[in-house]
Amino acid sequence: MSTIVQVSGLSKTYGSVRAVDDVSFTLEENKITGLLGRNGAGKSTLMSLLTGQEFATRGDIRVFGASPVENASVLQKICFIKESQRYPEDFVVKHVFASAPWFFANWDADFAAQLIDEFRLPTDRRVKKLSRGQLSAVGIIVGLASRAPLTFFDEPYLGLDAVARQLFYDRLLEDYAEHPRTVVLSTHLIDEVSMLLEHVLLIDDGRIVIDDDAENLRNSATTVVGTRAAVDSFVAGHEVLHRESIGGLASVTVGTLDAQDRAAAAAAGLELSPVSLQQLIIRKTGTTTREFEQSA
Amino acid sequence: MDEGRPLFVQLAEQIESDILSGALPEETQVPSTNEFATFHRINPATAGKGVNLLVDAGILYKKRGIGMFVAAGSRARIVAQRRERFENDYVRPLLLEADKLGLSREEITALITKNITEGTSR
Amino acid sequence: MTTTTAPIDRSAGGEELRRIVNVARLHLTNRFSLLVLPWIILGIIFAANLVIWWLIRTVAGDAAMQDAGEGMQFSGASSFIFVYMMVVAVQAMNATFPFALGYGVTRRDFYLGSGLVFIVLSALYALGLTVLNVVERATNGWGLGGRMFDVVYFSTENAVTQFVQFFLVLLFFFFVGAATASVYVRWKSIGMIFFFAALSFIVLAAIAVITLSESWGNVGQWFVTNGPLGVALWLLVPTLLSAIAGFFLLRKATPRT
Repeated sequence: MSTIVQVSGLSKTYGSVRAVDDVSFTLEENKITGLLGRNGAGKSTLMSLLTGQEFATRGDIRVFGASPVENASVLQKICFIKESQRYPEDFVVKHVFASAPWFFANWDADFAAQLIDEFRLPTDRRVKKLSRGQLSAVGIIVGLASRAPLTFFDEPYLGLDAVARQLFYDRLLEDYAEHPRTVVLSTHLIDEVSMLLEHVLLIDDGRIVIDDDAENLRNSATTVVGTRAAVDSFVAGHEVLHRESIGGLASVTVGTLDAQDRAAAAAAGLELSPVSLQQLIIRKTGTTTREFEQSA
Repeated sequence: MDEGRPLFVQLAEQIESDILSGALPEETQVPSTNEFATFHRINPATAGKGVNLLVDAGILYKKRGIGMFVAAGSRARIVAQRRERFENDYVRPLLLEADKLGLSREEITALITKNITEGTSR
Repeated sequence: MTTTTAPIDRSAGGEELRRIVNVARLHLTNRFSLLVLPWIILGIIFAANLVIWWLIRTVAGDAAMQDAGEGMQFSGASSFIFVYMMVVAVQAMNATFPFALGYGVTRRDFYLGSGLVFIVLSALYALGLTVLNVVERATNGWGLGGRMFDVVYFSTENAVTQFVQFFLVLLFFFFVGAATASVYVRWKSIGMIFFFAALSFIVLAAIAVITLSESWGNVGQWFVTNGPLGVALWLLVPTLLSAIAGFFLLRKATPRT
């Protein structure tokens, strides 16, 4: 599998703020990568750098083997759907879909029409008059129907209800299965998308904290619950990610457990429960669930 | 599918259960990797990993250019595997829970006998 | 794997031209707002003027209309077209630019495509205004002695000269609008504050220098000597400077929200 994006030592500073801080990673061809992290962690800045919209302060970016900055042959293969995308002042919804094929060689007009129908998008309405959710739908449709070899979705679902979000996930998965391409999906709704992801990049405070396959991560933590004494003696020698206790009970999240550990836990009367990707990420970024959800 | 365990393992278990229940009879074609992925709403690469797990175990086999099929004798092998795990997965947790509740060995045996005669397990 | 593919261009130059033309098409996606609406507005203003001229003629007579016609020359009822096009240029840089970047367009291609649209629109509107100007003259102000497309000072008998003048003035408004908006896109409100502060300073300094050196006579003389065509040609200097400045400003601009 070949590398589509290669980033090394990348930094972007605004004044004294380090939005992206000495980041290095690669993106493999035809994978769906989740770019996860809290708001302000640097997700959008990172994607703007990869698409040549922002200029790096330091470091090197190779996309399709070359710098993306002002490079038409690279940028032609990229579609970047931004949460806060601006549209031309005088655009009516249908203008967006009329102009898209001039810029995306793989544009599928039938697929776009199907999605417009499914998202119930009013095509004769001015873009400025759309609701937040309808605006998100416009971006999602462009991102899907463009079938760009490298597609970025930056929090593409703001204002969409659960039904419309599920529609997006389903169509993304179906179309990706038929037309494999490299997709980067930035989101804080990790529970909703984690099953779609093959790879996970977690960015926190401008730095990459996790760069691993989603399946490895699903296996990488377990929560042990039981009486405090039993839990403490069990977790000794394990990497502890998180600890909570109420009265005589303790709930401790530890790293990977092998079969022997599991048997020992069962024998000690401890309950083991798997940790979801979202829980793992909350543990790794050192925030509470509430804080994380509020960062939306 | 639940979030906490590797999805490819869960998919493999699901397919095995379907073979066991007869939903996927031996020597019939199983859905494609992409069909599994969209049905279970998981990444196609992950679905592929789950399917490959069963190919490696000889439960499924590939017919070139056609697709994936359930191998002859798969059902018997899955039954054997699950029987081996039955004690660990079901009997031991049952006894552990019974201990916590203070149920005696006689009471447990009586409960099981009662359920068998009443046919609740069938 | 894909259902549609773009036509493959033989040469790198053809490929580049295709990209630039596509940006131009992007600006013209909504043909109504750029090609139809301005004429409709112009038509409404024109119709209102016709009514006023007719009223003046009927109520006050031909002599009064003669004065009114000359007054109309100064009001420049058609000059809203120039302001409209300046706004078009501002919105192109401010809103269409970040949109085009999302479509994978380079800043260079975007600017060149926008410039192409500005030139084409200038030519189209200059042509339309010239035709109206010629008709207005030929019909003695639409049979009422009115003047709307015959602008003071820039008024000329020669249709070709008239076209060139309209064209150059339109270009000026397009590129000055684009350059000003590029300052905004590049540096946001801070950029605007400095830009207009600097502009005010330059204008005031120029006025001060001319006044102190008692050169207003020379300035007037300059306009007379050069004539409308000469002045329009001189406009090319700030137009070109704006075009070049806009290009370099936008090359380093980032679409931030």
